[in-house]
Amino acid sequence: MSAAIDIRHLTKRFGALTVLDDISLQIEDGEFVVFLGPSGCGKSTLLRMIAGLEGVDEGEIALGDRRIDPLPPGERGVAMVFQSYALYPHMTVRQNMAFGLENVRTPKDEIERRTDAAAKILEIDHLLDRKPQMLSGGQRQRVAIGRAIVKEPKAFLFDEPLSNLDAALRGRTRLELAQLHQRLGATMIFVTHDQVEAMTLADRIVVMHDRRIEQIGTPMEVYQRPATKFVAGFVGSPAMSMLPVSGVTQGPSGARVTVDGVGDIDTAVPLPPGFAAKGASIGIRAEDTTPSDTGLPLTVDVIERLGDRTLLHGHLPDGSELVAQDTGRSTVTAGDTVRVAVDPHAVHLFDADGRAHHATGAD
Amino acid sequence: MSATTPIQHGHSRTLFWIAVAVSVLMFAPMAWVLVLSFTDNEALSRGTEAAFTGPYTLKNYTDIAGNSGVFRWFVNSLIVGAGQTAGVLVLSSLAGYAFGRLEWPGRKVIFVIVLFGLAVPEQAVIIPRHQIFSTLDLHNTYIGLMLPGMSLPFGVFLMTQFFRAIPPEIDEAALLDNATRWRIFWKVLLPLTLPAQATLGIFTFLFAWNDYWWPLISATDKDMYTLTIGIASSQVNFAQTEGLGFLAAQAVFAALPVLIVYIIFQKHVVTAVSGGAVK
Ligand SMILES: Nc1ncnc2c1ncn2[C@@H]1O[C@H](COP(=O)(O)OP(=O)(O)O)[C@@H](O)[C@H]1O
Ligand SMILES: [Mg+2]
Repeated sequence: MSAAIDIRHLTKRFGALTVLDDISLQIEDGEFVVFLGPSGCGKSTLLRMIAGLEGVDEGEIALGDRRIDPLPPGERGVAMVFQSYALYPHMTVRQNMAFGLENVRTPKDEIERRTDAAAKILEIDHLLDRKPQMLSGGQRQRVAIGRAIVKEPKAFLFDEPLSNLDAALRGRTRLELAQLHQRLGATMIFVTHDQVEAMTLADRIVVMHDRRIEQIGTPMEVYQRPATKFVAGFVGSPAMSMLPVSGVTQGPSGARVTVDGVGDIDTAVPLPPGFAAKGASIGIRAEDTTPSDTGLPLTVDVIERLGDRTLLHGHLPDGSELVAQDTGRSTVTAGDTVRVAVDPHAVHLFDADGRAHHATGAD
Repeated sequence: MSATTPIQHGHSRTLFWIAVAVSVLMFAPMAWVLVLSFTDNEALSRGTEAAFTGPYTLKNYTDIAGNSGVFRWFVNSLIVGAGQTAGVLVLSSLAGYAFGRLEWPGRKVIFVIVLFGLAVPEQAVIIPRHQIFSTLDLHNTYIGLMLPGMSLPFGVFLMTQFFRAIPPEIDEAALLDNATRWRIFWKVLLPLTLPAQATLGIFTFLFAWNDYWWPLISATDKDMYTLTIGIASSQVNFAQTEGLGFLAAQAVFAALPVLIVYIIFQKHVVTAVSGGAVK
C-alpha cells in the first residue's frame, strides 16, 4: 500500500487573507520531505491541512490511492508530532501512547505489544508509568514521537518538533529522527524554519515563501542551484552575499557582470538571452571566495573565526556587503582591505524577478 | 513551596498580631456557640453567664436525636446540596466546553447573555419564579428546591475560562488519535478541569447548604424544610431566653457538613479563595 502524498492546487484562506495560493506537490512513498521557510509563510497551515486540522478551500489532497481531504483527521492514516508535544497531561506515558489505539478498539495485547516496541526504539521503556509533568523536554518529545509510531501511520507529520530542545539535544534528536526514518521507511513531512535541520534530514526540501512554493529539490539542489533569489538567500549559512548588477555583457566563459564602483566579475553562467541588468544581482557564497592578489577589494568589518576557516564580513567600495572566507590561520584583522577572488563557476545570477541562473553543470 | 513574600521584620510582627486579633474576633462567636451547645438549658435561661460556670451537658445533642424533624431536614439539605452541586457541575462543564471550545453561530452573543445573569439579583426574579414553580407544581419538591441554584452563570463563566486555557493542540492530538468529540470531552478535557470542578462544587454545595431564602419560599411543608429553615422554625421564643443551648447545638450540627467539606477539600477552597493563584 503506497503512502505517496499528492497535493493538487491547494488554496487556503483565513478570512480575506490568502495563506496558501495554488500549491501543488508530490511526495513519494517513504520520502522524507521538509517544508522550509521563514516564520509565517504557511508551513504549519499546509501540514495541518494534510492532517485534517484545517479545512481546504480549493484543491485536493490524496494519500496513497485515497483522496483524504474530505476525511476527518483520525481517518486519514497520518500521525502528527506537535511543537508543544500536546501530550495528555493527566495520562501516563503508556496511556498517552495507547489512547489512539484504544479509540479504534485495538486488542489489548496488540496495544501492549506496540507500546512496548515503540518505547524500546525510543528508549523510554523506563518512563512508561510516569506522567508528562515528570519528564524532561527531550523525554516528552520522545513520548510524542512514540504516540505517533504506535499508530503505524502511513505518514508522519512533524511541526517544528525540535524547536523546544536545547542545541545539543536538538542535534542528537535530529540524527535519531533520520535513523527512525530509515528504520520505519514511512513517509515523513517535517516542518522547520531551520535550514540546518532541513539540509540534514530531507530527501527533498520544499522551500516556501509568501504563500507559494519557491523550490522543491534535494538539499544539494536547493543549496547549489537555488531556483530564486529568496531561496539563495535563505538557505546556507552565512547567507549568500548579493551584489547589485549595473551591466551584463558576454565575457570569455559566460556572463561578465559589472558591479558599480567595484568592477567586473567574470562568471561561468551562460548569458541568458534578453537578460536585463536592471534590478539584477549576483550572488556569492563565502565558501566560493579565496583571498588573492587580484579580485574584489573587501574592507573587513568583522572577523568570525570558526576554527577550520575564518569568515570575513566586510563591504565593497560601493557599500554592498560581502562575506568572504579565509583559512583558519587567517591573519586578516578588522579594518584591513583584502582582495578576494570569486570562483566563476559557483556564482549565481538573479534577474529582476528573482529568477536564478547558474553555471551549467555546477552541482 | 516556600515562596513567602519577603516582609521586613518590624512589619512582619505587626502583621502577625493583626492576624491574631482578626482570627480571635472571627473565632470568638463560634467558640461561644460551641460552649453554649454544651451548656444546660435551664441554667442558660437564668443568664448566659452560665456558659462560663456550667453545668455542662450533652443533653442538647441527645435532644436533637430525639427531635425527628432535625434528621429529616438534615437529609433534605444533603439531597438538595448534592443534587444542586451535581447539576451545576454537569451544566457548567457542558456549557463551558461549548463556549470555550466549539465554534458555533451565536456563541458570543449567547455567552454575553449568560454573563448578564451574573448581574441579576435573586430578589428581582423571585416573584415570577415563585409563580412559575407554583404553576408547574414544583413547590415542596426536591427538584423545586434544587432547580433555581442549578442555573449558575458564574459556573458557566468559570468553566468556559478553564476550557479556554487548555491548549487546543490537546484536542487536535486527540482528534488525530481518532477520538470522538464526546470522548475528547469526557476522557481528555474534563479530567483536566478537575481543579475547577472541585472549586465550583465546593462553593455550590456550601451555597446550597446555607441558602435560606428560596427554601423559605418554596418549602412550606415541614417535611420538605431544609436544615436552615427547620432550625429557624424551631426558634419559637423570640427573646431566645429558653432553649438557647439546644439552639446552639442545632447550629453546630448544621455546620458540621460544611466543616467536613472544608477539611476534606481545604486545599481546593484555599485555591478558590485566592483566585487560583496558589498551585
Ligand atoms: N487560525 C488562523 N486564523 C487566521 N490566520 C491564521 C491562522 N493560522 C495561521 N494564520 C496565518 O497564516 C499565516 C501562516 O501561518 P503558519 O502556517 O502558522 O506559518 P508558519 O508555520 O510557516 O510559521 C500567518 O500569517 C498566520 O498569521
Ligand atoms: Mg509554524
